[in-house]
Amino acid sequence: MAGSIPESAYADRIVPGASVAGDRRWDALRRATRARLAPFGAAVLLVAIVVALAAPLLAPYDPLAQNLGNSLARPGRAHWLGTDNVGRDVLSRVIWGTRVSLVAGFVSVAIAALAGGVLGMLAGYAGGRADGVVMRLMDAVLSFPPLVLALALGAVLGAGLTGVLLALGVVYTPTFARLMRGQVLSVKTRDYVDAARALGASGWWIARHHVLPNAATPIVVQASLSVAFAILAEASLSFLGLGVQPPAASWGSMINAGRGYLQQAPWIVFGPGAALFVTVVGLNFVGDAIRDGLDPRLTR
Amino acid sequence: MAEVVVRRLLATVPVLFLVTAGVFLLLHLTPGDPVDAMMAESVDAGAKESLRRELGLDRPIAVQYVAWMGRLVRGDLGRSIRNGEPVIENVSRRLRPSLQLAVLAMGISLLVAFPVAIVSALRHNTGVDRAGTTFALFGICMPNFLLALLLIFVFGVTLRWLPISGYLDPFDEGWPGLRSLVLPAVTLGLALAAVITRTLRSSLLEALGEDYVRTARAKGLSEWVVIRGHVLKNALIPVVTVLGLQLGTLIGGAVITEYVFALPGVGRLVVDAVFARDYPLVQGVILLIALGFIVSNLLVDLLYGWIDPRIRLR
Repeated sequence: MAGSIPESAYADRIVPGASVAGDRRWDALRRATRARLAPFGAAVLLVAIVVALAAPLLAPYDPLAQNLGNSLARPGRAHWLGTDNVGRDVLSRVIWGTRVSLVAGFVSVAIAALAGGVLGMLAGYAGGRADGVVMRLMDAVLSFPPLVLALALGAVLGAGLTGVLLALGVVYTPTFARLMRGQVLSVKTRDYVDAARALGASGWWIARHHVLPNAATPIVVQASLSVAFAILAEASLSFLGLGVQPPAASWGSMINAGRGYLQQAPWIVFGPGAALFVTVVGLNFVGDAIRDGLDPRLTR
Repeated sequence: MAEVVVRRLLATVPVLFLVTAGVFLLLHLTPGDPVDAMMAESVDAGAKESLRRELGLDRPIAVQYVAWMGRLVRGDLGRSIRNGEPVIENVSRRLRPSLQLAVLAMGISLLVAFPVAIVSALRHNTGVDRAGTTFALFGICMPNFLLALLLIFVFGVTLRWLPISGYLDPFDEGWPGLRSLVLPAVTLGLALAAVITRTLRSSLLEALGEDYVRTARAKGLSEWVVIRGHVLKNALIPVVTVLGLQLGTLIGGAVITEYVFALPGVGRLVVDAVFARDYPLVQGVILLIALGFIVSNLLVDLLYGWIDPRIRLR
């Protein structure tokens, strides 16, 4: 590949005007807000983010403070969602658990998008043997049922949030790698890429200016849809005992701890259960809206 | 068709090789010494050394891998370090409850999804349709373990209609055995039903707009004949694809369901092995589950080609 040429000289010829890009962004936003349930999803996501960030201010009690004299207390004025078997305030623990869920959802998907993006780009660009090796590796990861693979990886990496984040990152990587590879294969045969090459642009320059902007849309759509499922997966692993370890609060581990008290104190399960369900539903709506907004095929 | 099968089988070979290598490396991903992770600190050094020798961990990793693959090819998946039994025996003992759960769940999901999707599609954009799509959304977003606990709370704890945990083999115990599987099967079946409903509804809507449906109606065929003979047959293809894609989720769901309902199946075995840090058992069971998953996906692919001649001809 020939040496790279100054970016400014080349960019003037092919990059569309800023106003056109701006219009496109507004079109995407208009399409996204047209989805009926998007506002609900956005509100849920916004509330979840605020709650996660302001957990120390919003939680009425210390989420770890035990009060054995007030265990299994019904929901009431003092404890809106009741207390658990050792007298901890369920609402405070649900509020702190929001942090764990959001971190798990966003960080594991970010790890997967980054790793998958790089691997997919490598496979699509290099082609040949590198493509074969990377894609067979991704097929091998996809040969395991996701939760079973996450469980096995979580087991060897050790219980705790870091292990879960890495395990979920690995599980979701192939999806992003396949997406990115597909985009690279499609973009690299386009005329404007040939033109860029003829003008002496380097492979890296083409990847940064043509492949990445084109691949960004499907990656963002996939990421937004994956976050909800990553939150569910983290809750499942925490429920099984692999996630954040007690006494720290996570929705999955709270539900597991409460299932022994389902008869006397169902609120221990249903408080975090409702938070988990509403968050996942909201994120699904947001994901759908982002897909509708960014996928122009839906507007045809 | 034979050529497709051979091509598909050949494509599986490198993946199988990588899967076995991945499962082998699982043990070596453990931070620190895997033997220390498997045995308590109090266990004396002699016992640890003996386990290290038994697992071959005292040899170079390449030698370990060749020896492990050699045993694998002969069908030896190793032994559990807890009960000393071969992995195959551990799994075969647990296979029956898992298969019964899977078959029942699949049956429930089809029984629920087909009527809901058909009614939703026929009454498109009405209250019935909205109820159907809400059900689908509810099922997709509801975590398996939460649905299980909801069902336990309503039908086990409050109404006391069904047992909330434990397992009796329906083939030996009859009705009490079947009752022990109802709640786990409904838990697993509803999640799958939601996904099938969503897919089938949209493919039915697409098929209902086709010219051949208008022609069938114009011929004077009854609505039921049109649905059964023309619409449903064409709408089934995406459902098979989705079923294939959902297999992994179904297996994951089975792990959680068996754990919640204390069902002694393969899923429960995985969780128990993970928490007992019985790594040889974890390796063996994960490998068998992955092989089962690969074979099922292969069958779904072939089934897809068999249902839709256009794919076979491609």
